[in-house]
Amino acid sequence: MTAWSRIAETLRVAWRCAGMARHALWAAKTRSLFVVAGVALGIASLTIIVAAVDGADRKANEMVALFGPDAALVLGGNIQTRAVGQRTLTLSYEDAAALRRSLPGAYLVVPMRSKSNVQVRYGGRVTQVPLVVGTTAGYARAWDWPLSEGRDLSEQDLTHSARVGLIGDTIAQELFGQQSPIGRTVLMDRFPVQIVGRLSYRGVTGGGGPVDDRIIMPITTLTKRFHLDRKYFRALRIKFHHPEYMSEHVANLRSLLRHLHGLRPEQEDDFTILTADEILQFLSTFKGGLVLFLGVTALVAMLVGGFVLANLFYLGVDERRAEIGLKMALGAPRWAILVQILLEAVGLTLIGAIFGMFLGIAMGQLLARLGVLEILFSWKVFGFALFASLAIGLIFGLKPARRAASMAPIDALKGS
Amino acid sequence: MSAKQPIICLQDIEKTFLLGDLTIEVLKGVSLDIGAGEFVALRGVSGSGKSTLMHILGLLDRPTGGRYLLQGEDVAALPDDRLSALRNRLFGFIFQTFHLIPYLSALDNVMLPGLYGATPARQLRRRAQELLSQVGLADRLHFRPGQLSGGQQQRVAMARALLNDPQVLLADEPTGQLDSATSTEIIALLKTIHSQGRTVILVTHDAATAESAEREVLLHDGLVQNR
Ligand SMILES: Nc1ncnc2c1ncn2[C@@H]1O[C@H](COP(=O)(O)OP(=O)(O)OP(=O)(O)O)[C@@H](O)[C@H]1O
Ligand SMILES: [Mg+2]
Repeated sequence: MTAWSRIAETLRVAWRCAGMARHALWAAKTRSLFVVAGVALGIASLTIIVAAVDGADRKANEMVALFGPDAALVLGGNIQTRAVGQRTLTLSYEDAAALRRSLPGAYLVVPMRSKSNVQVRYGGRVTQVPLVVGTTAGYARAWDWPLSEGRDLSEQDLTHSARVGLIGDTIAQELFGQQSPIGRTVLMDRFPVQIVGRLSYRGVTGGGGPVDDRIIMPITTLTKRFHLDRKYFRALRIKFHHPEYMSEHVANLRSLLRHLHGLRPEQEDDFTILTADEILQFLSTFKGGLVLFLGVTALVAMLVGGFVLANLFYLGVDERRAEIGLKMALGAPRWAILVQILLEAVGLTLIGAIFGMFLGIAMGQLLARLGVLEILFSWKVFGFALFASLAIGLIFGLKPARRAASMAPIDALKGS
Repeated sequence: MSAKQPIICLQDIEKTFLLGDLTIEVLKGVSLDIGAGEFVALRGVSGSGKSTLMHILGLLDRPTGGRYLLQGEDVAALPDDRLSALRNRLFGFIFQTFHLIPYLSALDNVMLPGLYGATPARQLRRRAQELLSQVGLADRLHFRPGQLSGGQQQRVAMARALLNDPQVLLADEPTGQLDSATSTEIIALLKTIHSQGRTVILVTHDAATAESAEREVLLHDGLVQNR
């Protein structure tokens, strides 16, 4: 017999063992069901964890893309050590002017103020706008947010406190439907504003909520009309050339601001600088917590499934002594018995994996719909689930399989 | 009419079981030659060690003493896998209790020994069908053992024993659980199997049944009494 024909024969016997495994599993339906259920729960958790981690990654990438890798956002006040009663209005127009003049590498410095929940009316239609942002010229450019129609805010709009605004795509849809909003005048708290530009649809949610339901106005207009503080604003958006030097840019920005605010070395910053890096860091901490929590859940569930399998199979092998002894008596080599029991174990865990994946996808969709988790399913999920179930089957099936294969044919046959 | 070259040669075979500190000597030195093509009845009262001897003959158990030469080869020296292969190709077993797999059909039960060999499945299936027809079960191919009578189950077991076309058929009390009419049919089948040129070893406690063989070996008190 050549080596090839020996391999072919071994494979044929192994394939036939798979057929026997199938029959045996079907004959022990209840036991099989328990194992499948145990493994399915584990794989479902694993499916969710992989999808949630991928979802968090996608979210992080979106947020970074939204934020811009070449940008920094300065907020008034220190969010890490925000003492009770500490001022958050620490950024002034003088600061902005000084940064424009002397911050190296910065090509755009855009101060921002915002007003939340403003009622906007056009004709008979009314809608509540969660966020009205006051800013200087070049908002669309500062946020890499192209306009789908019209024009950006200009320097003249600012100096004249013009009653003009850019409209978010969602609100434009709500108020104007299919019509173009450009040149139309809406009433914001009974104060007329002419729409000059429409921001293109972004669709992603940046941090707090949807970004497409906002209105952008000159900061001067906003301050006057809504009687906000005239000296200070809330946030400052800065864009830099050469994003590869972001850490140097941030260091310059920080020391310049500290100097402008007259802070002594022992004093804390009275502002907060956010960059894409920091957003990523925050998100990866969040992701780490997620992986830990779901990972422990998945591990426990899969171990439980594995132990259910090991125990039921151990008992099953005992119950099936007579069958195993008979097969040995009829000429089954020990490896064929081992292969059959292992295939039974792996077969069940693979079925468990399939059910588990569907269960996980269903639960993931539910969690995503409830807004608990960001979920992204990919082939990776299938890969992980298949690999994990295979491992459970082999690891936990091995002991019962070896026990079966090591039986003495006559003892097994007599059922002693 | 012992053949010139025995296919089976037992020399002083002993089998002792240990139960705690109790030793049970079942076989105390059995010597026996069986020639190729013989039909031998192995007779003895219940508990005399017939099944024990048959298990040793069929390579299901190892003796605790003595030598067993199978086709001139000492089986004590053979590795496990070789024993499996010999059980598979050389021997056909009919057990005292039928030992069919309850969740498999008659046909699948008969095919079982063939699954560990190289014969293609289609050929196995055809042979299993043929054998089941020969034992009169052509219309019961897809019945489970639980749906068959005792005599029918025993005939499924016989068909299974013949699947790999073995040289030696070992039958342990094949009629022990059957009524006399059915027993007669089974014995007739064994004679047919013998007439096909196979060695048949029939274990029985019944003198009348032993009559149907060419030669009788009487087992008593752990030893062979005659010849
Ligand atoms: N595994 C074992 N451990 C201890 N004693 C055993 C074992 N197997 C068989 N025996 C003993 O060996 C003796 C012979 O048993 P065996 O089954 O060979 O008898 P038998 O001749 O086939 O009887 P029967 O006609 O009832 O089938 C019995 O006394 C039995 O108790
Ligand atoms: Mg017996």
